[in-house]
Amino acid sequence: MTSGLRRAVWTVVLVVVSFLITALILRVSGYSVGDVFSGIIQGAITATGASTSSIRWAIPLLLIALGVVVGFRAGFFNIGGQGQFYMGACSALAISLGWREGPAGLVILCGTLAAMLAGVLWSLFPGWLRVRFGTDEVLTTLMMSFIGALVLQYLTAGPMRNPQGTGQTAASERIPEAFRLTGGSGVSLTVLLLVAGVTVLVWLVLERTRFGLTMTLVGRNATMARWQGINVRRVGLGAFALSGALAGLAGAVELYGPAARLVTGFSPEVGFTAVVVALVGLLNVWGTVVAAIFFGGLQAAILFLPIVTDLPPPALVLLHGMVAFLVTIKFRAVRRRRAAQTEATAG
Amino acid sequence: MTAPSGPAPAGVPAVRCRSLGVSFGAVRALHDVSLELAPGRIHALVGQNGAGKTTLAKVLGGLQVPDAGDVRIAGRDIPPGDVRAAKAAGLAMVHQHFSLPPSFTVAEALELTAARPGGRAVYRRGDLQRRWQEDVAEIGGTAALSTRIRDLPVEARQSLEIVRALATEARLLLLDEPTALLTPVAIDSLFERLRSLRDGGVTILVVLHKLREVAAVADTVSVLRDGELVLGPAEMSEVSQGRLSDAIVGPGGHADSAVGVRAAAHESTETLLELAGTSSSESAFEPGLTAVDLRVEAGEIVGIAGVEGNGQRSLVSVIAGLTPVTEGTVRIGGDEVTAAAPARRRLRGLRLVPFDRNAEGISRSAPLWLNQSALRLLGRRRGRSPLISLRQYKRQASEAMDLWRVRYDTATQPAESLSGGNVQRLILSRELADGVEVLVAAQPTRGLDFAATEFVRRSLRGLREAGAGVLLVSSDLDELFELSDRLLVMYGGRIVAEFDGPYDRRAVGDAMTGAVR
Ligand SMILES: Nc1ncnc2c1ncn2[C@@H]1O[C@H](COP(=O)(O)OP(=O)(O)OP(=O)(O)O)[C@@H](O)[C@H]1O
Ligand SMILES: [Mg+2]
Repeated sequence: MTSGLRRAVWTVVLVVVSFLITALILRVSGYSVGDVFSGIIQGAITATGASTSSIRWAIPLLLIALGVVVGFRAGFFNIGGQGQFYMGACSALAISLGWREGPAGLVILCGTLAAMLAGVLWSLFPGWLRVRFGTDEVLTTLMMSFIGALVLQYLTAGPMRNPQGTGQTAASERIPEAFRLTGGSGVSLTVLLLVAGVTVLVWLVLERTRFGLTMTLVGRNATMARWQGINVRRVGLGAFALSGALAGLAGAVELYGPAARLVTGFSPEVGFTAVVVALVGLLNVWGTVVAAIFFGGLQAAILFLPIVTDLPPPALVLLHGMVAFLVTIKFRAVRRRRAAQTEATAG
Repeated sequence: MTAPSGPAPAGVPAVRCRSLGVSFGAVRALHDVSLELAPGRIHALVGQNGAGKTTLAKVLGGLQVPDAGDVRIAGRDIPPGDVRAAKAAGLAMVHQHFSLPPSFTVAEALELTAARPGGRAVYRRGDLQRRWQEDVAEIGGTAALSTRIRDLPVEARQSLEIVRALATEARLLLLDEPTALLTPVAIDSLFERLRSLRDGGVTILVVLHKLREVAAVADTVSVLRDGELVLGPAEMSEVSQGRLSDAIVGPGGHADSAVGVRAAAHESTETLLELAGTSSSESAFEPGLTAVDLRVEAGEIVGIAGVEGNGQRSLVSVIAGLTPVTEGTVRIGGDEVTAAAPARRRLRGLRLVPFDRNAEGISRSAPLWLNQSALRLLGRRRGRSPLISLRQYKRQASEAMDLWRVRYDTATQPAESLSGGNVQRLILSRELADGVEVLVAAQPTRGLDFAATEFVRRSLRGLREAGAGVLLVSSDLDELFELSDRLLVMYGGRIVAEFDGPYDRRAVGDAMTGAVR
């Protein structure tokens, strides 16, 4: 068995074990495990609109997780996808509301580019701190993520608040219907093609370009890369930028797709779940695609379950946590490699 | 983890292993190896790069589970892969690859890993350092006890590995190429220590490459070739040098053809590398450069002699562009590159064999082909597709590695799975592949078996013939004398003397100690 296959099998085993542990906890707490799991199957696959809903959630997870994969290739852990995602969505919203009369195609294009740019800026700052001063990017990207959430809150409660809005949560105005790429379901051929194209592109960049190979060398041993004449800082910044651009893009797809307007604290978990997706996907593009679909299904099920069982929604977040926990234990090797990296790039 | 008391009963071999077999994929690292080592003697183990020496040592130490066979140490059965049992039977090991924890200070690392008797649970820092001071000094180590392992140069790390192993009251000592990184003086004092340990009843198995060293220290010698024990253990007095080297290379092994080194064509009097009044600031273990003037012309090998730690590292790093120049200039191939990025120097034809092959020369977890292809990733290729052909990369890498006789299974295996000497070959296969203008080679034959050493020396001469320039930094005076057209001596970050052949060993030696200034 090749080592890649072995790792994949292990990961599947761990996911199954997480399910079993969760089932046990539910059982002990007096829920019917059978009902809950049939609810999960319904919510993710069989109920009307369930599989669409699964795909709808898989899309942002996939895009952000690809960003994590890219960062990791160069030896960095960008876990701030949430903030980059928010900033992307806000920028696309600003363009779309500011230029309502514009031709739809052009506005969407500009909005998407602005979203990616915002994602880039939001991750480039921690990236710069990292390559310049050796600041741990796990902390800084996380902090930037919190700032991003607060900026969203400020914008939706202040400058971008919908004055006609009722309801208790602050939300923006809706973008014109003409700018939307999907209906409320969040899935359309255009979006699927776009995401598929981006995925293939990311794979090509990582595996079939000199930049991708350079990132791998830097991620594995930055000292050696420097001796080989590689500009380690520039490669690091490039990885951070690409990583942020993907998260920003996810924000634009969310806005032009299912959301149409921004609500304070929307999709609050997606950026963090994406990190788990990337890890479960073994930091490999195709593995990440599979993991994103899986977690998209889980997300859809979480939203569906309260309808058919008396289970409170947080109970399933337990399952998320369990998978994340077990998979992360397996990834202690990741941290080890990171330690070597810090040593090599600082200074 | 206590050392067993007293020597093993007479007549019981210190080590006895039977029919050991280890395979990695298609590579047979050990095949049907049976060996008995008599107690209280120094046994040398020799063989070409990749012959299986390290693998054998690891099996004995319980670090590698064999596919077949069994191991007994001092009459006790050692379950396969049981490190503790091996230690309990009195075994200590000096690894070819360093194993001290990088973020610990020297004293901490020694205390934690040496399992020296009489330790306490809690220490004052001063006490801890005092406890280890003598050991470090004895082996000629210069490392300050409060330095972190990761900040030490490779040579100092190597001597600490030895200190650690000697400090345990081991009855069986395995040393895997302990001399590869040591200065001649340190080698002498190591051998002295080994002899006195032997006289105290300790059994020693030492992996060596230089037959001179084997003759100097060993009582018996064993030879591994392609994973098989082809000779020994035989008394040193009973094997001639010729028979020994035949056993090592095997039938037809001597026909190692010269490598086709390709260098850029040159007018023969061009200056390819020039440092003029170059200075740099000092680093942790090295003086910086002070007003260094140095020229390497086309078709010339210039040697740099000096005791380790006199600025050689700074010199290589300054030329590579990794240490900034504070004063003076650096030119490569006539272009000033004083402030140029490392990439530009590489593209200009600079090739480097760095001191620390495992940390600076390769990426241990990356596949062989990527390590081999690293230089192809530099620079822009205008008008070419941004996509590359992995198949082509892998093919080119395999060809270059085959040319250098790197012993590997597939091009996708990680570089860390190569034997020590094969890592060096991998680096050379990359640096000498194409378009060499100037080669700066730091200890290029370190850890190579003698056939490979010859091969490298021939290649360096080949480069000279092809009109490239070579700057050879070495602590091996014989190598320097043999290859250099001119010899410069570094002391305290300066070039203190220049010699033309034929060289006077005494005069060069004096210059190295700073006697001529
Ligand atoms: N983990 C591994 N995976 C794959 N191949 C391995 C691994 N470890 C060793 N090998 C292979 O086994 C062979 C024997 O290696 P070993 O390290 O024992 O050689 P050696 O005699 O110590 O050589 P050197 O003088 O170069 O240190 C080599 O061909 C090496 O590539
Ligand atoms: Mg070895």
